[in-house]
Amino acid sequence: MSTEHGHDHHHPRPDSQVALRARALEALLAEKGLVAADAIDAVVDLYERDVGPQNGAKVVARAWTDPAFRGRLLADGAKAIAELGLGGVEADNLVAVANTPTVHNVVVCTLCSCYPWPVLGLPPTWYKSPPYRARMVAEPRAVLREFGLELPDEVEIRVWDSSAEVRYLVVPMRPAGAEGLAEEALRVLVTRDCMIGTAVPQVGSP
Amino acid sequence: MDGIHDLGGMHGFGAVVAPGGEAPYHERWEARVFALHLLAGVERLGARPGGRATREEMDPVDYLAASYFERWLWSLEQGLLRKGTIAAGEVERMMERLAAGGPEPPPHRDPEQAARAVEWLREVVPMQPATRPRFKPGQAARVRRMRPAGHTRCPRYVRGAVGVVEGVRGAAELPDLAVYSRDAPVEPIYAVAFRSDALWGRGEEPPWTVALDLWESYLEEAE
Repeated sequence: MSTEHGHDHHHPRPDSQVALRARALEALLAEKGLVAADAIDAVVDLYERDVGPQNGAKVVARAWTDPAFRGRLLADGAKAIAELGLGGVEADNLVAVANTPTVHNVVVCTLCSCYPWPVLGLPPTWYKSPPYRARMVAEPRAVLREFGLELPDEVEIRVWDSSAEVRYLVVPMRPAGAEGLAEEALRVLVTRDCMIGTAVPQVGSP
Repeated sequence: MDGIHDLGGMHGFGAVVAPGGEAPYHERWEARVFALHLLAGVERLGARPGGRATREEMDPVDYLAASYFERWLWSLEQGLLRKGTIAAGEVERMMERLAAGGPEPPPHRDPEQAARAVEWLREVVPMQPATRPRFKPGQAARVRRMRPAGHTRCPRYVRGAVGVVEGVRGAAELPDLAVYSRDAPVEPIYAVAFRSDALWGRGEEPPWTVALDLWESYLEEAE
C-alpha cells in the first residue's frame, strides 16, 4: 500500500482497532435488540450476489440490440431499467447518457460518492477517493489516460458531477467487431468502468 | 459547508489508479458497517442530518486520514449518539469487553427487519415534477457566490461561474435545509453545463464540459 498517495486506499490506524469498534457497535445494537444479524447479512448479500455491474451490462447490451429500448432508456432511465426488473435506492432518478463518435461521458461525485447502485453495485474504492473526486472535473484527459483511455482531441468529454438526486449511467458505443454477437455475448464486453466512463468496451476483453 | 469533502479541482492527491482501488471494500467489517448504516436509516435509529452531512462535519485531518468506511462508522456512531439510541461511552465499554474476550451478546435475529431493508432498497421514489421553473433550457445562469455554514450540494468550484441550463430534472427539497428540518422548500433542479474554461481558465487539455444538477436557489440570472 502506498503511504504517499494512499489516502483513501487504506487507513493509518490499526485495522484491528477500527474493526473492533465496528464489531462493538454491531454487538451493542444487537444487545439492545435494534439491529439483527440476519438483516445485516441480507443487505451485504444483496450487493455481493444480486446487485452489481452485471445488471448495468444487461441494460447496455439490451440498448445495443433493441433501438426502441435504447430510445426509452435515454428518455427515462429509471423507467426503462424497471422493464428489466431493475431499480431502487440510488437509481430513483437514473439518467442514461450515450457516448457517440464525438461525445464521451464520464461520471464522478466530487462531494461524496453518489453512484447508481441498482445497475453498478457499490462503487470501487478509487471512485470514492480524493484523487478521482478532485481531478476528474479538472483534468479529465489526464485521469482517463491513467486508466489507459486516450481519446482524440476532437471528442468532447462531458463530465457529470452527480451533485443532486440524479444518478448517471454511461451507455458506451458498441465496439467494432461486436456486430454479430448476441445480447448475452455483448454483456461480457460491458465492464463496470465502461459504464462509469473510464473505459470503453473492447472486443476480446475482459 | 465548505469542508474538506468538497474536493472538486484540488491538487495534491496523487494518482487515481493505485493498488487496492478496485474493490468496494477489503474487509468484512466494512461491508457490515455499510449495511448497519443503511439499517440505522431504515429503522430510524440515527438523528439528523444523516450520514452524508454528518461526515462533512468530520475534522478535515481525520477525514483524509480515515478510510471510506471508517468515515461511515464515524457518522453512524454520531447519528446514534445524537438521537440517544446509544449513550456516550457504550461503544468503548463494548470494545473493552470484546477485546478482553468477554461474552458476545446473544445473536439477535429478525427476519422481518431483513425483509424491510431489502424492500426499502428496492423501492423507487422518483423526484417530483417541477412547477413554474424560473430558468428555461438554453438559458445562461450564474451560480451564486455563497459560503454556507451547513450542508449544501453546491460545490465550491462552480460558484460564480456561468453555465447553460440544459434541462429541468424535476423538483426536490432543498438539501441545505432539508437535512436539518422537515419543512424545507421544494425547488426545481436544473442540469447545468459549464465549459471548462469558465471553471478553470485555459489549461493544457482541449476544452471539456462539466455538468451538474443544481437546485434553483443556487442559481441567478446571467447577463
